Amino acid sequence: MSGGPTVDGHDANGQHANGQHADGRDANEHHTDGREVDGRGVDGPVPGRRGAGAVVALAGRIVLAPAVLAVAGALVLTTLVMLAVGVDPALAYPALVRGALYDGNLEYTIAAFVPTLGMALAFAIPLRAGEFNLGGDGQMALGGVVAAALALNVTLPAGLGVLLPLVAAALTGALVAGISAPLRTRLGVPAIVTTLLVSTPAVALASYLVRFPLAEQGTGNAQTPTLPDAAHLPALAGSEYVTLGLPLIALLTAAWLLADARGVLGYEIRATGSNREFARYGGVAVNRLAAVTLAGGGAFAGLVGALIVLGPPYRFVDGALTAPGYTFTAIAAVLLATGRPVAVPFTVALLTILSAGGPGMERDAGVPSQLTQIVQGLIIVIVAVFATVRHVRRRRNARTEAGA
Amino acid sequence: MAVSPAEPPAAELVGVSKRFGPVVANDGIDLAIAKGEIHAVVGENGAGKSTLMSILYGLHRPDAGHVARNGARIRLRSPADAISHGLGMVHQHFRLFPELTVAENVVIGAEPTRGGVLDLAAARREVERLGDLYGLRADPDARIDGLPVGIRQRVEILKALYRRAEVLILDEPTAVLTPGEATRLFDVLRTVTATGASVVLVTHKLTEVLAAGDRVTVLRRGRVTGRFDTATTTADELVMAMIGRSLGPATPRRATRPPADGPYALEVRDLRVRDRDGVPRLDGVSFGVRPGEIVGIAGVAGSGQRELLDTVTGLRGPGRGDSGEVLLSGAPVRRGRHPAVAYVPEDRRGRATSPGMSLAENLIMGDQRTPALRGRLGLSASAVRERARTLTERFSIRAASVSDPISSLSGGNAQKAVLARELSRGTPVIVVEEPTQGVDVGAQEQIHALIADARDQGQAVLLQSSELTELRALADRVLVMFEGRVVAEITGEEAGDERLGAAMTGATTGGASGTTTGGTSGAAS
Ligand SMILES: Nc1ncnc2c1ncn2[C@@H]1O[C@H](COP(=O)(O)OP(=O)(O)OP(=O)(O)O)[C@@H](O)[C@H]1O
Ligand SMILES: [Mg+2]
Repeated sequence: MSGGPTVDGHDANGQHANGQHADGRDANEHHTDGREVDGRGVDGPVPGRRGAGAVVALAGRIVLAPAVLAVAGALVLTTLVMLAVGVDPALAYPALVRGALYDGNLEYTIAAFVPTLGMALAFAIPLRAGEFNLGGDGQMALGGVVAAALALNVTLPAGLGVLLPLVAAALTGALVAGISAPLRTRLGVPAIVTTLLVSTPAVALASYLVRFPLAEQGTGNAQTPTLPDAAHLPALAGSEYVTLGLPLIALLTAAWLLADARGVLGYEIRATGSNREFARYGGVAVNRLAAVTLAGGGAFAGLVGALIVLGPPYRFVDGALTAPGYTFTAIAAVLLATGRPVAVPFTVALLTILSAGGPGMERDAGVPSQLTQIVQGLIIVIVAVFATVRHVRRRRNARTEAGA
Repeated sequence: MAVSPAEPPAAELVGVSKRFGPVVANDGIDLAIAKGEIHAVVGENGAGKSTLMSILYGLHRPDAGHVARNGARIRLRSPADAISHGLGMVHQHFRLFPELTVAENVVIGAEPTRGGVLDLAAARREVERLGDLYGLRADPDARIDGLPVGIRQRVEILKALYRRAEVLILDEPTAVLTPGEATRLFDVLRTVTATGASVVLVTHKLTEVLAAGDRVTVLRRGRVTGRFDTATTTADELVMAMIGRSLGPATPRRATRPPADGPYALEVRDLRVRDRDGVPRLDGVSFGVRPGEIVGIAGVAGSGQRELLDTVTGLRGPGRGDSGEVLLSGAPVRRGRHPAVAYVPEDRRGRATSPGMSLAENLIMGDQRTPALRGRLGLSASAVRERARTLTERFSIRAASVSDPISSLSGGNAQKAVLARELSRGTPVIVVEEPTQGVDVGAQEQIHALIADARDQGQAVLLQSSELTELRALADRVLVMFEGRVVAEITGEEAGDERLGAAMTGATTGGASGTTTGGTSGAAS
């Protein structure tokens, strides 16, 4: 091996120590690096890649976002199904939109949006800390029962008559969800399991209470009597079904979004969710925080139960809370938002419109309303596929950084 | 080595460029690895070394340029392609299944079968055969989770060799090894190259390059700035090509005056700690660190350093059967992170950072509740950004943007971010583990200066390092641990390799400081 060292291309005879690049391939080493002026050249922005390019890149990022692709993919597949079974999509889709938004249906859709958004938070809040709350149904049902029992048995002035059941329901939901936290820290059973396990008996307990101790006497219906007027959630002006619950949930959602993005607690929750050991190292009481997020999620579920019960028809009708499937739709919406909290209200709106428009589509276009559930299911499947792909890719990238 | 110039290189990167958004990581790089050589690749943090290795192993696709094997251009779309072309990579973060045995890990994914089922006996024989061939002995039936880091790395190498790798890529393999393990690794690599295989070695330790490498390629800002024969070059010359200037002589930065004889800032009293199985890990450790003093911790891996530092930082609460005290300025340390202790953990990805969060978010952890970062609504976005800017500048952390995830930083820059966060907190006590792992020589010097500064400001520093040169350069006293006890306390001046080495193996006779030769370390650190 011959040839002296070549530093920065100051090679006397153009030959490298390895004697290989006789064909001039090394030419690119010989020009001066003009970008070194500021001492950080390599990392500075490259001129000409900003501006128009950035806009195109941003647009591309939005169009290619997993959520957008999932919705588009689901709609394409649904259209194919419609064509296969001989339904005209040109009829079905307008019917779906009409069924959700027009002909006086908007009110019902908004009335369904409120509990779905609440349940979305019940799932999303613990998820930020890496905990899965799958027990929304139980938390919601028990919250609703507590609200109904309070309203029926305690005479309160207007205002307080609404506030107290709401708060009590939220506390109940928080408690039901919170049980999962010590089960995890003490016994090591993950919340995804315990929340689900607790949910079924919780729903059953609510059902029992409504059918027996709290049941309306003499009708044989599985429901409580109508709640006293003081416990009725005021309806918004000009509406029958949309109550004060809408501004309340909107406000709470905004507060959560703010806390998540800017709050110290939000930061600590995100840190816990992304690397628990890192958060612990940084002085975050990770176990307590996980408990707080589970309880916080449960509180929203309990609150939703109360909002349903205190709204029209102002009573707890057995099954009315869980039957519409708010919990499942909400989970789908949160997964569709793929880790972007601000997207949650929008994905909730989208999926609510889909499920609310189903009956209208069935009536006007003769398409079974179950089709909307198929669409929802497809969205979840596609999102899951994306998540898996991303996971695999991240693992590959992790290897890339292996020696970093 | 004997390389005939006529023979095509075993592996070659030709005109390779790669950019990540605005960052040009590789910019027209040519690199030829001859058959049978150990080719070292060195360069500053963020120079593009890992990116280049990832391209060679099919993990990244180059924007321009290509890879060739034995003179023929090849296409690498994935590591699987690379493996089929005889390229193998040993990852720094091992990709082994802890609950499987050595033999199972070596053959996984390419198992020898008999009648359609895994032939474990054949796998075991294969591990033994390769082990004998390359001097890479490892018990085929041992479970990975019970093995020390050095052996795990051997298993990774065995895995690559089992897949018939003829070009072995190692990205900073010695960052996690003790000096003894590193020496054994290079013995193995020599045996491997003796069979005609080649090794590409990325490292920041120039002594390793000069001792073990045949040729060196220096990268700077994505370009090749030098090619050298190790036989005819010096560490100085390499440094010059890497950072464009020479380093001053490695000056010891021990305290110029002895610390005041006042009270300890950090005191450990008769600490006894058992692990979950009841095995004693710390067996009566007592010492103190005064303000304005750096106390080093040395010892072979697993001598109790982990338990000691976790207890001192409050991350490990007292368990059953534990006793003793940790006092911070006289008050017992409480469980959980203590605000008066800054802490640079060794485990960068698992503990010191959250790879998915942004650089700015990573830089505030631990301080998120301090008033300085408060805005009207929780954290002040501008204060967070401002702090990130200040720290990236002061510690010359290279990142395209502080809102990029910290995982997009090069390894050394991520390490600098952790140091920046902890050293800037001005706490009375600083606990530092392996402060210069993965950082380039220039940054090593800078980091040493910063730690010495902290000491001169009156902070008490507890420094754990497997680099004896680092301990010697910084520590005023070195405590040597062995089997859960402090077996020797040596002043910085007296902490020669001989003396430390003997104490680390439990030979506590102490005696005269080393007069014999055999020091392994020396140059730029
Ligand atoms: N996945 C990525 N996304 C964005 N930027 C990246 C990515 N990987 C690397 N970079 C950038 O490319 C440059 C080169 O990084 P690379 O990891 O190759 O450096 P390196 O030479 O290995 O440094 P170190 O010695 O610190 O490990 C750095 O500026 C880094 O921030
Ligand atoms: Mg690297």
